[in-house]
Amino acid sequence: MSGADEGWAVVGTLFAGVVVWGGIGWLIDLWLDTTFVKAIGVLVGLATAIYLVVVKYGKAG
Amino acid sequence: MSASIVLASECPPNDPGFCAPSVLEFFPKPLATFDLFGVHFAITRITVILWIATAVMVWFFIAATRNMQLVPGKRQYFAESGYSIIRDGVAREVIGTEGLRFAPYLASLFFFIVINNIMGIIPFAQIPPTGRFAFPVVLATITYVLFNWVGIRQQGVGPYFKNNLFPAGVPKPLYLLVTPIEFASTFVFRPFTLSVRLFANMLAGHLLLAIFAAGTVYLFTVGNFSVIFAPVSFAMSVVMTFFELLVQVLQAYVFVVLTSAYIAGAMEEAH
Repeated sequence: MSGADEGWAVVGTLFAGVVVWGGIGWLIDLWLDTTFVKAIGVLVGLATAIYLVVVKYGKAG
Repeated sequence: MSASIVLASECPPNDPGFCAPSVLEFFPKPLATFDLFGVHFAITRITVILWIATAVMVWFFIAATRNMQLVPGKRQYFAESGYSIIRDGVAREVIGTEGLRFAPYLASLFFFIVINNIMGIIPFAQIPPTGRFAFPVVLATITYVLFNWVGIRQQGVGPYFKNNLFPAGVPKPLYLLVTPIEFASTFVFRPFTLSVRLFANMLAGHLLLAIFAAGTVYLFTVGNFSVIFAPVSFAMSVVMTFFELLVQVLQAYVFVVLTSAYIAGAMEEAH
């Protein structure tokens, strides 16, 4: 059972990464009238979130 | 607002087709309305079901613990083991010995949610009040205020936000990328996902049951060869009722486990 809370936290972090940086990219797209920044934002967010998960929950044991 | 939605999308009268139950199930006609301090209140059958369910739960625990025996009777045994599942299985397991002081809140939360979820399969009630978004939102708000309050009290305002927004072991320039994610996932998405998880499960579960039940009646009464499919629909409604019982208990449990995980995270010092 002890793994479930950590599992939800990992899912939440991945989700937040995509939404936050994808959202910022989307706003930049609106502002500059472009379309590609939101894609970069999603990728940056996902990469950062995976990094964050490794740092916070990746310690063995 | 909801009244016009109800009227706009109800099935047209005299339509011989199948009228599927919809989310309108959760917008019944108000039994009574009143205004209090400028807020408009509407008492519907869902409100009444919530009151009855909660009253039954409160009565049960008061009755079971009023005259406690060293060798428990059936009722006391049931109440004690129910409480102990949350106290030992969740509060102690997830938060630790420190968490025992949250056991009364966690147990109240669990039993309030579980009895209101189970109302979805109790005959004549047959709708879970927790499928109305407002109820999970209130519960998630209490949890949100509680874990932030615990964190601020335990660690102090500065360290609490520093631990949550600037996780240890990340090189300084990366905080530019990491901190917005940490802020969103801890302070924005937590109450949102907590309430949506419970609400959506209850809403979807109720519609699933309602569709198989209504489908059974329709297939029986439509009056052509469709009647051979009616037993299938009926069997599914029975199977789904047991499945819903599982989901209802599980979702109440998940809500409480996540609440204690948030409290545990708030109490943890930086490492």
